[in-house]
Amino acid sequence: MWSKEARLGILLILPTVLLLCLLILFPILYNIWLSFYAKHAFLPLQSWVGWKNYLSMLSDEQFWTSFKLSLIFTVSSTAFQIVLGVLVALLLHERFWGRTFARGVVLFPYMLPTIVSVVLWKWVLNDQYGIVNYLLQAWHFIKQPIVWIGPSNMMKSLVMVSIWTYFPFVVINVLARLQVIPLELYDAAKVDGASAVGRFFYVTLPQLKEVLFVVILLRGIWMFTKFDIVWLWAGDFGGLGESVRTLPIYTYMKTFGQYQVGLGAALANLMFMMLMIAVTIYFRVFRRDEEVE
Amino acid sequence: MKRKKPTSALLTALSFPLPERLAEHLTPRRILLLGIAFFVVLIAAFPLLWMISTSLKPDREVLAWPPYFLPKHPTLQNFWRLFTQTNFLIYFKNSVICASLSTLLSIAIGTMGGYSLTRFRYWGREKIAMLSLLTYMFPPIVLIVPFFILFRAIGLVNAYSGLILAYVSFSLPFSVWLLRAFFLSIPLELEEAAMVDGANRLEAVVYIIMPLALPGIIATSIFTFIVAWNDYLFARILMGQEELKTIPVGVQDFFNMAVIDWGLIMAAGMMITIPALIFFISSQKYLIEGWGAGAVKG
Repeated sequence: MWSKEARLGILLILPTVLLLCLLILFPILYNIWLSFYAKHAFLPLQSWVGWKNYLSMLSDEQFWTSFKLSLIFTVSSTAFQIVLGVLVALLLHERFWGRTFARGVVLFPYMLPTIVSVVLWKWVLNDQYGIVNYLLQAWHFIKQPIVWIGPSNMMKSLVMVSIWTYFPFVVINVLARLQVIPLELYDAAKVDGASAVGRFFYVTLPQLKEVLFVVILLRGIWMFTKFDIVWLWAGDFGGLGESVRTLPIYTYMKTFGQYQVGLGAALANLMFMMLMIAVTIYFRVFRRDEEVE
Repeated sequence: MKRKKPTSALLTALSFPLPERLAEHLTPRRILLLGIAFFVVLIAAFPLLWMISTSLKPDREVLAWPPYFLPKHPTLQNFWRLFTQTNFLIYFKNSVICASLSTLLSIAIGTMGGYSLTRFRYWGREKIAMLSLLTYMFPPIVLIVPFFILFRAIGLVNAYSGLILAYVSFSLPFSVWLLRAFFLSIPLELEEAAMVDGANRLEAVVYIIMPLALPGIIATSIFTFIVAWNDYLFARILMGQEELKTIPVGVQDFFNMAVIDWGLIMAAGMMITIPALIFFISSQKYLIEGWGAGAVKG
């Protein structure tokens, strides 16, 4: 009876395990293998080069630029998403007329395909015909239209669009947690004479710690590995896009632009290792018991 | 708070000086709150509203300076051009095929897996759950190279089946994780009771568990569908042929035209957004639930 049960269980999990192997084990192993070869993306050319792919990265100036750009993009967009997300969640937690509607509207950008948020922001921020430049000029904030999607402002506008697109993820998670904070805690704090700000820091924030831990982790990982919004925003990496050429983009260019698959694989592995290190440190610093619920 | 009788509430509301009930509702704090909420909603919605307005403008008005919000001569000509002069409908069809088939597959496999992970004991059970969490960390760019080389070797490049398989393996860890959380919330005793009463496992699952798990399954399907529907990278690499492109890739290529046709692009944006909007409104309840199970608890 017991073994028959176990067999059924294993039969049911088998497809998942097979696909997870295809997804996790195969790419990891294959990437490691590839990274020791100089291999062309399309032609059957490959030769063993040992650690050369990794070593060449260390002395590659473009790699370090990409690393820096990745850090800037990840940290700034994640930080703003978290702060804005928490503030908006607090706002949407309050009772006011039209709250349900407001929640729906605020959460919607997260449902939009990336391509849509990219094209509509490209249009809104267009330097010649864009409404944002028009409004800024009409209200006398600026004299000359700002070239948002030009080399010097590309990173700023990219971070802005990323915040708009992804902060609803923070809102919805924080909002879900806010709704289950016991009201007695606030009553007790009120009795103790805590102000509204005090109540936020002594009651709300400690209660949000758990969810913020997970949300910051996920958003950080996802922003660091983000390919599509960066790629679509810059559109052209021949010249313009240099200012937002983050690591995933650089990997893509090496692999599919210059056909150096081995080098691309080494880059991807480096990226993954950086992520592992960052995540380990994150767990060490912010959670001593190292427990993922 | 005690509910007042309607008549007395009405009387209080109409009494003078400033009615108690109204004063209760329109404190300066409340007005400030409403103001901020309005501002936030405006920021969130404005680009979308501007997209709607642009998509309905004729060419001349799209590039008018100064720009204005309401089209003077609203027209559907942008949509007409989108359907007749571009391959948008083909992209749309491809996106629907790949996203829906991969969702179906991913949910079928994920439901079996999630059920198995919560109802049976065997070696490595916890490891599988952790592994699926680990994939959150995977940069998609790490996956695409091995996928591309493998798929090219076995002839799955430029084929629906290849892209669908890629999406399934990409979204499966996520759906297993979500569905596991949903199955965990259904007490074991329920099916045990049914089986004591003489039902076999299949009957217990079909009649007892599935109805309870349905909201979770719906929520998970929506998430997996959106993952596939939004994807750009995999479709770009695996589907090179024009007649196999999905919407994100096809629309991005509109920017390669000599003159960027903003009216046309905004119309395309509308056509991608409307299904998402309908989806979103009709399933908001399940979505919130899914978020609760997947991201807050796990």
